[in-house]
Amino acid sequence: MPTDTKRVRGPELSQNPGLFACKPAGVVHATHGPRADGRQRDQVDVRPVFVRCGLVSQAKGSAYIEAGNTKLMCCVYGPRETERKDETDMKCGRLTTDMRFAPFSCPERGSWIQGSQDKDFSLMLHESLQPALCLHKYPRSQIEVNVMVLENSGSVLAHAVTCASLALADAGIEMYDLVLGCSIRQDGASYVVDPSYVEENSCSSVSGENQGGLTVAFLPSLNQISGLQSDGEMAEETLTAGVRTCIEGCYKLYPVIQQALAKAVRRAAPPPSES
Amino acid sequence: MAAVQVSEAEKVYILHGIRDDLRVDGRGCEDYRHMEIETDVVSNTDGSAKVTLGHTAVLVGIKAEIGKPRPMVPDEGYLEFFVDCSANATPEFEGRGGEELGTELSNTLYKVFNNKHSVDLKSLCISTGEHCWVLYVDVLLLQCDGNLYDAISVAIKAALFNTKIPRVHISADDEGGKEIELSDDPYDCMRLNVENVPCIVTLCKVGHRHVVDATLQEKACSVASLIISVTHKGMVTCTRKVGGGSLDPESIFEMTEAGKRVGKALHAPLMKLLQQEESLGKKHQKVGFLG
Repeated sequence: MPTDTKRVRGPELSQNPGLFACKPAGVVHATHGPRADGRQRDQVDVRPVFVRCGLVSQAKGSAYIEAGNTKLMCCVYGPRETERKDETDMKCGRLTTDMRFAPFSCPERGSWIQGSQDKDFSLMLHESLQPALCLHKYPRSQIEVNVMVLENSGSVLAHAVTCASLALADAGIEMYDLVLGCSIRQDGASYVVDPSYVEENSCSSVSGENQGGLTVAFLPSLNQISGLQSDGEMAEETLTAGVRTCIEGCYKLYPVIQQALAKAVRRAAPPPSES
Repeated sequence: MAAVQVSEAEKVYILHGIRDDLRVDGRGCEDYRHMEIETDVVSNTDGSAKVTLGHTAVLVGIKAEIGKPRPMVPDEGYLEFFVDCSANATPEFEGRGGEELGTELSNTLYKVFNNKHSVDLKSLCISTGEHCWVLYVDVLLLQCDGNLYDAISVAIKAALFNTKIPRVHISADDEGGKEIELSDDPYDCMRLNVENVPCIVTLCKVGHRHVVDATLQEKACSVASLIISVTHKGMVTCTRKVGGGSLDPESIFEMTEAGKRVGKALHAPLMKLLQQEESLGKKHQKVGFLG
């Protein structure tokens, strides 16, 4: 277990006080009750999203996304020269992704050292973004994408994909299309789109079949899926229906992201005045 | 994964063959290579299995240890996975080279088993909140010739079937604390029910069709693959798209359906084989590592 020598840590055996909270009866989510934030079940009801590009002045491109209470920011550096030059780099560029959670982002305190879950998210982000980039136009270069999750309130990977592709577009990296992410959580016979943290981690009291989460990364103009990840236990038909729902969710998000990008470009390079 | 260099002409050859449902070694698109499974190969473990799928060889050892249950679920035990890509497999894995692949494989295994039904975790509890069985599943890659996920999942299922967890007896000692006693009889043990343990099927998209159990050459011709883990009832516990390309939604639907079909069909013969091997008991000839 790697130790963090840079910080004065609390005692090794510290525990989250939430473990000792007595759970009030009936807190377990009724699978057919309304959602806590007023959105609908079984409908493609994504949280309204706030996006802004160009926040970090040092980075080539950056983006910030807020969906409900989930807040993340992404910075893109590059194209830069690669340090290692092996044969593959001669033909096309290399994409490096890194996704980190701030220790205060989740209800349980995380650590600064990258756990295996963070590495997993970074890998999935990489797989989702790679098909969209024209890496063959950047030989011998490296493009770095760093996502930092400031607050985790559910469907973090989906929003990270959206934020990263927006940051890449803001950086002027050539892409085939924007990549949008959407996730759902299946609970028995009903599903919720864009789940919040509580909805994602609640285990329904009925040890039901058909429980799980699904995240899809989608390229809307090309109608291609660049990333797919699911866990839990679901029937194959539910999985297929879930993928279709996520694609619909991505289409809903597309105009908002396009508008934010257009606004950022207009701000950076205002069109010539008519006079 | 260890990559092979494939020329353009070879790629075209493989692509055209797969288009006509004929692969380089004569299999159909949904056929597996010759698979050999042997359990109880390592005597120091509580359960072990070795699977050879074509030229891919995987060895799984399971050790059961007594530990403290997780704070959120005090009445369940848990499994810990670790995949080691040994330098025997390819020289690329020397030192820390295989670490990335190893973490990717173990993260996927955590996701595959992250549900209530695969392994009955409540049976691994010894005393609520204090002691539970922790099963350390250690996977060792001996040879790498494509399709690691499938071989690893079959090996884990076989090793879990073979696992014999000793029975423990909790007694209260003088000061009111709990004392754990291991049963004296070495054959008095608990077995796990592996009916619901899923198997992973990897489908590679080559051209417009998909293939199951791709060799390294076929993998070099594909841009993306889908990993799907299926239980014997046809429930999907984990899916993941790997690779640097993108897939059409229609292909994904086709591949999940094919994966479910192939995965479901894998379980019955596997259980039969495992039970047959078990019933031979002392009589079965150990093939070991040189067979």
